[in-house]
Amino acid sequence: MCGISGVASFHPIGDRLYEGVRHLEYRGYDSCGIAFVNDHHIEVRKDIGTVDEVDSKVHIRALTALVGIAHTRWATHGKVTRENAHPHQACHGEFAVVHNGIIANYKALREELQKIGHRFRSDTDTEIIAHLLEQRFKESGDIERAWVSALRALEGSYALAMITIHDPERIFCARHESPLIIGVGSESNYVGSDFNAFIDYTKSTVILEDGEYGIVSKDSYCVKSLRTGEVVDKDITIVPWDSELSRKGGYPHYMLKEIHEQPQAVRSALSISDDEIAAVADMMAAARRVHLLGVGTTYYVALLGQYLLASLADLDVPAVSSDEFRHLDKSDRESLVLAISQSGETYDTVMSLRHAKERGAKTAAIVNVMGSSIARMVDRVILQGSGPEVCVVSTKAALVQMILLARLALELGARRGALSAATRRAHEAALAALPGQIETILNEKSGLIRAAAYRHAHVQNWLFLGRGIYYPIALEAALKMKEVTYVHAEGMPGGFLKHGTLSLVDDKLYTLVFLPPPAAGELHAATMSSVEEVKARGGFVFGFTFDGADNIFDDRLVLAPAPDVTAPFLPLVCAQLLAYFTATALKRNVDKPRSLAKSVTVA
Amino acid sequence: MKALILTGGAGRNLVPFSSTRPKAMTVVAGGSLMRRTLSHLREVGVTDVTVVIGQHGEKVTETFKDGHEIGLNLAYVEQQRPGGIADAILRARTRFIPGEYFILVYGDVVTSANPFHQALQSFNSFKAPIAGVCLPGPPTTRYGNVYLDGTRITRIVEKPTTTGLGNYVLAGVFVLPVEVFALVEKSSRDMEQVFAQLMRAPGLHASIWEEGWIDVEYPWDILAANRMVMDTWEEAQISRHAVIDGNVTFTGPVRIERGSVIKAGAVLAGPCYIGRNCYVGNNVLVRSYSSLGAASSIGYGVELKNCVLFGNSKIGRLSFVGDSVIGDNVDIGSGTMTINENMDHTPVAVSVRGEPVNSGLVKLGGFIGDDVKVGAGNTLAAGTVLPPGTSVPHHATVSRR
Repeated sequence: MCGISGVASFHPIGDRLYEGVRHLEYRGYDSCGIAFVNDHHIEVRKDIGTVDEVDSKVHIRALTALVGIAHTRWATHGKVTRENAHPHQACHGEFAVVHNGIIANYKALREELQKIGHRFRSDTDTEIIAHLLEQRFKESGDIERAWVSALRALEGSYALAMITIHDPERIFCARHESPLIIGVGSESNYVGSDFNAFIDYTKSTVILEDGEYGIVSKDSYCVKSLRTGEVVDKDITIVPWDSELSRKGGYPHYMLKEIHEQPQAVRSALSISDDEIAAVADMMAAARRVHLLGVGTTYYVALLGQYLLASLADLDVPAVSSDEFRHLDKSDRESLVLAISQSGETYDTVMSLRHAKERGAKTAAIVNVMGSSIARMVDRVILQGSGPEVCVVSTKAALVQMILLARLALELGARRGALSAATRRAHEAALAALPGQIETILNEKSGLIRAAAYRHAHVQNWLFLGRGIYYPIALEAALKMKEVTYVHAEGMPGGFLKHGTLSLVDDKLYTLVFLPPPAAGELHAATMSSVEEVKARGGFVFGFTFDGADNIFDDRLVLAPAPDVTAPFLPLVCAQLLAYFTATALKRNVDKPRSLAKSVTVA
Repeated sequence: MKALILTGGAGRNLVPFSSTRPKAMTVVAGGSLMRRTLSHLREVGVTDVTVVIGQHGEKVTETFKDGHEIGLNLAYVEQQRPGGIADAILRARTRFIPGEYFILVYGDVVTSANPFHQALQSFNSFKAPIAGVCLPGPPTTRYGNVYLDGTRITRIVEKPTTTGLGNYVLAGVFVLPVEVFALVEKSSRDMEQVFAQLMRAPGLHASIWEEGWIDVEYPWDILAANRMVMDTWEEAQISRHAVIDGNVTFTGPVRIERGSVIKAGAVLAGPCYIGRNCYVGNNVLVRSYSSLGAASSIGYGVELKNCVLFGNSKIGRLSFVGDSVIGDNVDIGSGTMTINENMDHTPVAVSVRGEPVNSGLVKLGGFIGDDVKVGAGNTLAAGTVLPPGTSVPHHATVSRR
């Protein structure tokens, strides 16, 4: 998965091309490059490294060209080398292409092109597109015809942008199963993988659909259907985000910024109208079978949703990881699949939804990014409105998804008679109080958590334990720890211990326990017994607890008492901070952990 | 943008070193806190710096003069009697032009990286007053607690109780409008009121600092700051004008400045720092986190460990100096031992203003002021403080003073 940006303008584009691709770095950052039209030939500058590093070598910002495309890469086909960095050119340097996605039939196409004399410089699937264009242009002598014919030959997923010396004022772009949008500015038009590519310059966008291609010049753009070749009439969408919001402001990292934005993000989630929640609740009530879908963090969100729906709404709604869903999918016309995705572009989730739709299932989704693939493909979407999440490690988006599932559970619980009106009101009041409680943690516990993170930064192996609804919390917390610190952390239900894992426990394995409030009764007692099991084997136990009387821990963080329905979210926030501060103690690349990218748009 | 550095505080908890210099002139990792602050300011493009100086201010003015040597225009304003931060700020009022913003920085703060980059970045995104905030290492009630809503500071609690130990605190780095001088005056020189006023309008934004940060308050803070700065060193730097014998061993980031002489058999384990024109004798062991200021002379077979020598000092042969800070122009006789732990491994207490203060450190040696002479064959108890100019005869055994 990669980031694409492109600018066609009346004015020099160096700065905008650089900023555009830099704002897309969360999509990939192992190499980067640009191509632009320079005095009747195409010049490509690229290298390995982050956008800043590459800029310092090849001077992107200094460009005076008026048309150009740029790319930041996250390797899928071929190693991280200068040759494999985009843009790619064909034999005679007349075409330059940037690509996000995977061309499935690239081997066959490559062999075919090699047979007729094309010479390849890289190992990428992208380079074949440039050669294919060159070949088709040789045959037809018309750029647009060559473009269409090349696109039709491609199988797999792609978002593409291309410039050519044969049509030097225009950028050609297209999408199939990978996101691409056009930005409509004044005296300039843009191409980007998402809004971040040009949000500083324009908020007006045109969203390409699968099977459409666009032609963008400095003063116009048009979108056509790949199948019919006819112009498609597209609406302009105005992006509501302020570019200021997508910057770090006073924070050292986006991760901390996004953790600190959670009180506000939860407030926005609580202000989403009841009708929107009720509409999805209607679908859930009408369906005979409902599945919650997510992958990675959003799978844990879905799992937490399963617990919430069981306890509050007396409903059995299994959570399934969307990378596995296709193997299990037995949905039919009476099924509903409710998917959860921050970016709305998650490949596995898109594919699962498509699969379920083909079987006739209804679909719904909770998504953060407006206009994303998932938001557009489902029957009903709840836009979570959490604002841009830039850090690869999801914090606020995940918490808000949990809150929205809680609202769904309360709505369904009330309809099904599982909750009395008074109980529902009490739970809603508890949700309303949650932002304030999170603020208190951020203000008054940060230093304690940071000190604990530095004390325990040497730990190589963590066990994160929770029971009941604290089990998905433990899973999600462990994922945060793994992603951002590169330290092994394993989330597990407390009951699993004596069925195997207990043999791992020694004085080097540290255990973080998520204790429910004492009011949880049996759940609290059962969790404490897990603590005893670890302690008895000489394990170090760090407790997140609501009760100062729980003092059998080697280290602990005591939280202020909270109502049952919202209590699980508070230690989750603490665990996000613990992962963050451990990462800073270990000097990790917090916002862009190695090998990870923000939205996983490849298989 | 112009900057204002406050160095006028008396620093009574930093005795014996503050008896002869402002806190900002204490030394870590081969340079004074002041030099670090000034070079950080220069790095972000500041050219005009006003320094408020108090007692022993001449140590600042004589070292940095008009700033020409380090590429800055320095101006000094005197604060005769310590009158707090508000008073210090007001004294510099005429140096700044209304309508502009300026950087305010406390002179006794050490950071592991340049804090002004981020403060200015925050300022550029908010175009509003900025206060650097951070989480101090171990939670403490030493600093005022900050309450945040996003990055907006909503409340500052000057005297926190133990319940708010986990809060962000003011880091001593600000970007403020020049109008703040009028606020200081109006609020009868009460900084708490000034901040409260800024929070109401136009708003005070936090710039969260997540790198290392130490406020040098007690003498052992010098060792922590020294360690923090040296931990950022990644490679060795050895001047081509240093004279190094054969059979000298370097490991890790060792820094040696011009004119120093390292004799055969010496072992230097980085990170460590040997300033200009030092002499490191035969078979000397310099262990990590040792910083030798310029013109230090270390005799045959001495062992140094986690210690800071400000400069111009002599340590006689076969001595051990560990977990200690040695001021300027100190003469330690041969065979002197600093004891650096209690027999029962409890944290070492140090006498500060006549009261024992728990340092929280299990390994801690002594603090030896400027111009002290220690005769040969002495043993200094853990936590010893020797005031400037003290003379200890040969063979004496010194207990805590």
